[in-house]
Amino acid sequence: MSTTSRPVVETSGLRKEYPTRRGTRVAVAGLDLSVEAGGVHGFLGPNGSGKTTTIRMLLGLARATSGTMRLFSEPVPERLPQVVGRVGAVVESPKFSPNISGRRNLLLLSRSIGAPDTRVDAAIETVGLTGRDGDRYKTYSLGMKQRLAIAATLLKDPALLILDEPTNGLDPAGIREVRDTIRALGEAGTTVLLSSHILAEVQQVCTAATIIGHGKVLASGRVDQLLGAATSHRLRCTDAAAAAGVLRTAGLTVHLEDDADHAHGAVLAVETDDPAAITRLLAARDIWVSELVPSRQDLESYFLSLTADDEEAGR
Amino acid sequence: MRGLLVELTRLRWRRAVLLLLVAVVVLPALLLATTAWNTRPMSDAEIDSLLSERYAQREVALCERRPEQYVDYSGEAVEPEGCREMIAGWYGGRQTLRPAQELDGTVLAAGTLVLALVLLLGTTFVGHDWNTGSMSNQLLFEPRRGRVWATKAAAVTVTCLLLGTAVLSAYWWGVTTLASVRDVAVAEGVVGDGYEQALRTGVLAGATALGGYALTMLFRSTVATVGVLFGLAVASGALLGIVGQTTQRWTPPLNVMAVMQGQVTYYDESAIAPECRFGTAGPADDCDPERTLTAGDGGLYLGSALLLVCGASVVSFRRRDVP
Repeated sequence: MSTTSRPVVETSGLRKEYPTRRGTRVAVAGLDLSVEAGGVHGFLGPNGSGKTTTIRMLLGLARATSGTMRLFSEPVPERLPQVVGRVGAVVESPKFSPNISGRRNLLLLSRSIGAPDTRVDAAIETVGLTGRDGDRYKTYSLGMKQRLAIAATLLKDPALLILDEPTNGLDPAGIREVRDTIRALGEAGTTVLLSSHILAEVQQVCTAATIIGHGKVLASGRVDQLLGAATSHRLRCTDAAAAAGVLRTAGLTVHLEDDADHAHGAVLAVETDDPAAITRLLAARDIWVSELVPSRQDLESYFLSLTADDEEAGR
Repeated sequence: MRGLLVELTRLRWRRAVLLLLVAVVVLPALLLATTAWNTRPMSDAEIDSLLSERYAQREVALCERRPEQYVDYSGEAVEPEGCREMIAGWYGGRQTLRPAQELDGTVLAAGTLVLALVLLLGTTFVGHDWNTGSMSNQLLFEPRRGRVWATKAAAVTVTCLLLGTAVLSAYWWGVTTLASVRDVAVAEGVVGDGYEQALRTGVLAGATALGGYALTMLFRSTVATVGVLFGLAVASGALLGIVGQTTQRWTPPLNVMAVMQGQVTYYDESAIAPECRFGTAGPADDCDPERTLTAGDGGLYLGSALLLVCGASVVSFRRRDVP
């Protein structure tokens, strides 16, 4: 695990413009990104928000119009050759030579960095392509191609893994395998920057996330911080109507929710971050709570609320 | 060195490239076989058949009586016993294998074939990387683009230079060996000239492959490169006319021929004094439009063009975003 306190990935004021017939199109607009060492960092944003462009600039495939970037505290693209050996990446769809085998494709890449051929065998085994590695790449399914791309990233034994939609085209079992691999890598100290539009996946795997829209950061931080503390609680009790009255009298906002399971009493949604206050108020009136659950916002609704606001601002 | 070995492996593993490499060997071999067959010595029966006409018999008799009035292809007086075969050749018989003539004939054709094939090879080698998008994958492992450009260029150039030289040398060795087997005299210096031509064409093959590679790195597409080269081949004369050059001097094919053959002659009417056309030229005026283009002149022209293309290609590859 890296012991440096500096972020593994840093961008400051990163901007990318593309010339168009009508002037310029801004793909990334002053992006400030920071990814700490270790763990899995989600990189979220709607289509066209600048995620892939940012990743391509970090990896030297695209030139930034302005701004600065650092990988392992080294300025890139100037010092990219010095750090690229520690960075594994899959950018967009897998790209290999179709008429040679998956194994030969990996051999060409591993030999270009002077890695032993045995590392190819290990990578192929890790992604579960043993037995098909001698087949031509063009005969692979999309899922197999994606696995081969992940195998290519493992050839370097990377300290930073940048994955752009790595589960695209995978079947549910494959998605689970990749998710487990990513999680294990993050826990083992590899920093993973995971760009994905599958928000449930990000929420399950990521420790931190950055959400971008229109080429700029909308929110960033630890996932639990982004979602915030529970701001509402759902409760069941013996007399929902009486309970609602008590809580409203105490100044709390209460919604009576429809619930199909009336056998256990009606459900109240109470907006407060202090559950003890609810039980204290109700017990004082001899109303007994049978269930009290903090209600958290999930990443998907948080993401949608952020990007919807951004869409509005964009208009 | 590691990068070069990887690129040589990539070259070897690519099917289209492999097919072109095989074609570079096989097509000249077929040309040599065809030449050997077309120049095989005539049998007595074939000669008798060709000389059965009375006018042919009269010519043979005249030749045998006064051989000093007849010269063979090399300008030497013919021996009386060689008259029948020589005159049979005039009246529809097969050509005799003459290495000195082959230098301007099939050796040149084999060289041109090799150049066309290595041009395609240089183009398709890297066009594939762009078409499949694997170039970006390679750059994730070696981001120094100048180095990537150079190692790929070196692999393509060295392969085509060595292969082109070897194939054309082998071709020339085949021609001279065949002549020797058939007891055809080869003038002094011709054998060395042939190997020199093979070497010059081999170097040109390396440069041609490099040019094809550099153009494809610039255009990022095999089809675009082939299209541009085809367009240039068709329109180069018109383009030169637009910039006020009506002489052949600046046409690429003439310069290629000059390098391959050592020198070529061409006619440049624009270089002679106007008086020459009206018959009023003085003794000091140069009225001979014939000019000689040496291998050095051609090499300088082609080398400059190659340098320009490579420069543009490197700058473009280093600066442009890679898809």
